[in-house]
Amino acid sequence: MYALNYVKAKSVQEAAEFLAANPEAKLLAGGMTLLPTLKQRLARPTHLVDIAGLPELRRIEAKGGRLVVGAGMKHHEVATSAVVKKAIPALAGLAGEIGDPQVRNQGTIGGSVANNDPAADYPAAVLGLGATVVTTKREIAADDYFQGLFTTALGEGEIVVRVEFPLPKKAAYCKFHHPASGYAVAGVFIAQTAGGVRVAVTGAGPGVFRWSAAEAALAKGLKPAALESAKLDASGLNSDIHADREYRANLVRVMAKRALAKLSGKK
Amino acid sequence: MSAKAHKHHDPVGRVEDARLTTGAGTYAADWNLPGQLYAHFLRSDRAHAEIVSVDTAAALKSPGVRAVFTGADAVRAGHVKPMHTLNFPGKGGMQTRAPERPALAHGKTRFVGEALAMVVADSLSAAQDAAELVQVEYRDLPPVISPEEALAPDAPRLHDRVPGNLALEAEVGDAAAVDTAFARAAHVTQLKVEVTRVAPNPMEPRAYVASYDARGDSYTLHVCCQGITTLRRHLSAYTGVPEEKLHFEVRDVGGGFGQRTPAYPEHCTLMLAAKTTGKPVKWVSTRSEGIACDTHGRANIINGALALDESGKFLAMRLDWVNDMGSYLSPASMGHIRNTSTCMTGVYRIPALYATYRVALTSTAPVSSYRGAGRPDIAYVVERLVSQAAAEVKMDAAELRRRNLIPPGAFPYKTPTGSTYENADLPGLLEKALRLADWKGYPKRRAQSVKQGRLRGIGIATVIENTGAGQAAKDEVEIEVDATGKVTVYTMSKSQGHGHETTFATIVANALGLPLERVTLRQCAPEKQHRLQGNHTGGSRSTVGAGSVCHLAAHKLIEHGRALAALALAVEPSQVEFARGEFHTRESKRKVRLGDLAKSGPVSVVAEAKFGSTFPNGCHIAEVEVDPDTGAASIASYCAVDDIGTVINHAVVEGQLHGGVAMGAGQIFGEKVIYDRDTGQLVTGSFMDYFMPRAGLLPAIRGAEHPTPSRVSPLGVKGVGESGCTGSLPALGNAVMDALRPLGIEHLDMPLTPAKVWHAIQDAKNKK
Amino acid sequence: MAKVTIKVNGTNQTRAVEDRTLLVNFLRDELGLTGTHVGCDTSQCGCCTVHVNGRAVKSCTLLAAQANGAEVLTIEGMAKKGKLHPIQQAFSECHGLQCGFCTPGMIMATAGLLKDNANPTEEQIYKGLEGNLCRCTGYINIVKAVKRSAKLLRGKAR
Repeated sequence: MYALNYVKAKSVQEAAEFLAANPEAKLLAGGMTLLPTLKQRLARPTHLVDIAGLPELRRIEAKGGRLVVGAGMKHHEVATSAVVKKAIPALAGLAGEIGDPQVRNQGTIGGSVANNDPAADYPAAVLGLGATVVTTKREIAADDYFQGLFTTALGEGEIVVRVEFPLPKKAAYCKFHHPASGYAVAGVFIAQTAGGVRVAVTGAGPGVFRWSAAEAALAKGLKPAALESAKLDASGLNSDIHADREYRANLVRVMAKRALAKLSGKK
Repeated sequence: MSAKAHKHHDPVGRVEDARLTTGAGTYAADWNLPGQLYAHFLRSDRAHAEIVSVDTAAALKSPGVRAVFTGADAVRAGHVKPMHTLNFPGKGGMQTRAPERPALAHGKTRFVGEALAMVVADSLSAAQDAAELVQVEYRDLPPVISPEEALAPDAPRLHDRVPGNLALEAEVGDAAAVDTAFARAAHVTQLKVEVTRVAPNPMEPRAYVASYDARGDSYTLHVCCQGITTLRRHLSAYTGVPEEKLHFEVRDVGGGFGQRTPAYPEHCTLMLAAKTTGKPVKWVSTRSEGIACDTHGRANIINGALALDESGKFLAMRLDWVNDMGSYLSPASMGHIRNTSTCMTGVYRIPALYATYRVALTSTAPVSSYRGAGRPDIAYVVERLVSQAAAEVKMDAAELRRRNLIPPGAFPYKTPTGSTYENADLPGLLEKALRLADWKGYPKRRAQSVKQGRLRGIGIATVIENTGAGQAAKDEVEIEVDATGKVTVYTMSKSQGHGHETTFATIVANALGLPLERVTLRQCAPEKQHRLQGNHTGGSRSTVGAGSVCHLAAHKLIEHGRALAALALAVEPSQVEFARGEFHTRESKRKVRLGDLAKSGPVSVVAEAKFGSTFPNGCHIAEVEVDPDTGAASIASYCAVDDIGTVINHAVVEGQLHGGVAMGAGQIFGEKVIYDRDTGQLVTGSFMDYFMPRAGLLPAIRGAEHPTPSRVSPLGVKGVGESGCTGSLPALGNAVMDALRPLGIEHLDMPLTPAKVWHAIQDAKNKK
Repeated sequence: MAKVTIKVNGTNQTRAVEDRTLLVNFLRDELGLTGTHVGCDTSQCGCCTVHVNGRAVKSCTLLAAQANGAEVLTIEGMAKKGKLHPIQQAFSECHGLQCGFCTPGMIMATAGLLKDNANPTEEQIYKGLEGNLCRCTGYINIVKAVKRSAKLLRGKAR
């Protein structure tokens, strides 16, 4: 790791101001992606502005048909929250599948959503549920928020404060673990929402995306057979030593079917 | 391990555990010496390139930097020629062509990760910061990654002194006899397999602290290693420093698996730095460095053929090996040929054998011993051939084995390649394993899996391997008794997790009739390093060798004590009896305790012996399930019946088998070091990409023992350290192939990853 | 430089360290607590697992400064008055360790797992140990040791 300065922010406001004044500073929440990156000397920020534990980022509540999760909530806390389990059990389940126990005890939803790793789990839920990302500056609909590989709608110095999930009728998530790292090779989140069926795919492409052909197919009824013929273009998918495009495309379909089975209450 | 013994756990645990469960172990990185400096290596990011220049000026000016070393320094110091052990006569009298390897690359770099320069500074971060300032100018050359391509006529030459990248060509067996047998065969099974290149990855990354004593012109190295005698020999050969000037500190070692045996370039350069700076110099490897430049294992491609007569009797076997040794010959590279020829016939009576070996150099990290060092490789190819032959002639895989096993009456059995198997009951072993695995009940279990939409396969492997032996002239053990009766045992073997402190102390305590806590084992003790000889711990040899000598030494101590006690008791030595640590006579009640003999100073004896190979053997049967939708395979059951002779500590032996089987499972299902074929870049450079087995990969092993005591070791023990992966590579490989064969899939090479298996299933479907 | 105070195994420890210092280096280099190990550089192996404010985390992926003011429990703090912690005892009894390098991390991960789930199934144990690698044991005896730990901690054994 290169030399840097550690700054503990006292408030989100203070952190935002610090970022504005120091363009090479980076936010530090759980650090589950940032610190490994820094250890490999792949980034060289001047400052790390620690926002973990700020009270304003630490809330979980269900109200007005929405589940609000503060950006500072750790995966373990989301996974075990009675409120989350009741409101959107699939979200609690997804959080409990992220990384490993040590990662879940440290990593935060805000960090995951802001980083938008193509193999991260949370983006699938945020997009699949049509959630709203609330930042220090505005509210961003999930459909506008995720913009591909490690890219989001966040502007310079803009900080994710919370994510607001509309409660779905039903939702389920299924993923296939990377054999080495444990990340999602393909993860599919299916939600039956007020606005229709949404199918979000993570791990398979350069960023989380909605599988519109599957959504259209499932709109006629939540039947696994509908997924068999839903079109999926493999050419844009990721390819690496562990999973080539064609295999990933298959996994997307298989995980979608399994998520659907879960959704329908079958194992 | 009887089924009963399997449930049994020694409630005391191992002697080592009190230390290792509480964080009180001392691993190499835990050493710190006053005034120490920190080393960091700049490593090549090219697979094959001329080094045009290395500019260290900016790095030398960086804060905290004491020195920067380059290939020129290594050459000046004479650290250029590591020893190698490929000392076999080659085909037509060919001699091994061993390339030079300056401890820091000079003139050329030949694999990604090769050390080019070393920065020594007051802190690790200062050294790391400065290493980024070293400017290297390369002129790229084409790399060659595949060993078969390296041997092709138009391949880029990696070393001037190794034409055709062929380090050695060798042969064993009788080519003419094999040709004749193949000509009259009723059936010939052919199979080309790859036993993939894997990274041993002991959990402790390498770490060394080197210091130099100008008065004695000698060095002390704090190391993680498998025994100092082999390391010292390698290092002396590499550096030219006489062995008596090399001293070592080694305490707890976090795994070895062969990879911690050889001398590495980093040992040499740290010695150079310590001498130049006059300060101790510490280096701790990162995992990524370890995957890139610690020796790899296996890396063999074998083209095999097995000839059978009408009744399924084996007539002959022919194997053509291409052994990928990486860019340089490691000092511990011999296993690839020696062990694969020693056990070439496997557990079968195969009258005619012939094998050729072509040892290739490639633009990759050097390959060396890795748990089994060739034994799992030969077992894998033979057992895959046998199971495939069974499928082709439509015979039960167990029945084909049954027809060809070496019968118990044939032991000691001299193999066509010149080994002598001492002792085994192979038919008994096979039948016990078939019962344990409920071989007959398999179709029912398969039907169950099919009902749940899964493929199921069963795989069997009956294997034998050579263990023990070793390159040291002999194994020596010293036992010392002090006036309090405390017994200290000194060996030159070194546990890396094997539990010698428990096993060897048990051997001595049993012989002396003392409670275990009275006996302490010290391994590679500094004050004994130049007094005792002995093999390092590797090749499943330590209980066979050093352990047996512990037993001999204890009895020597008794005889020595008997003479002293006779004087004290004023009787003839023949009248003195020994039991529970005490000498006494039948007639009198007077007793002389062991400690009494040491009242005027410690009493000690040294015993020595040299043992040949012992041949543990086993039958492993695995069942796997394959999810056809994802291609993911999982182990449904695993049974292992092993003949490892007499067992000293069942828990320790069982642990060795577990670990070995899991390593084999790792290699079958996911592990592989992958280099980009065009650029030579390492693609699996960290645990993010290199598959490591995790909890659950191998849920359980049903095990049983089927011992025939060794005739080589006075304890009756056979080696066990490597048996697990020798059995599991072929058993698991055969199981997956058995699951896929009904779909028309004839062969897949490891690793049998979900993606590979799924693609094979799709291809098979498309063919139909 | 950051002035960091961390309560380690019950004792407050204050050191001035470079801001980039990882918690694991703080423990090993500043305090000499070398029972916490480093087995990789990509946050995969879990050899460095310690508890921060009661939760198992990888101390290689946390700055010492982030743990300022926290309570940290390391392997050295598990045994009390020379008596092994039940999990340590269970690992020894079940031969759940060989070389011992991963063991401190395994034990701390086990302690974390059993805190959340006093009686885990095998599948739950596999999941609970997902963040920890072992190269020697094949994990079979580690899983046994976790089960035995659970029993000992629930006061159900002997």
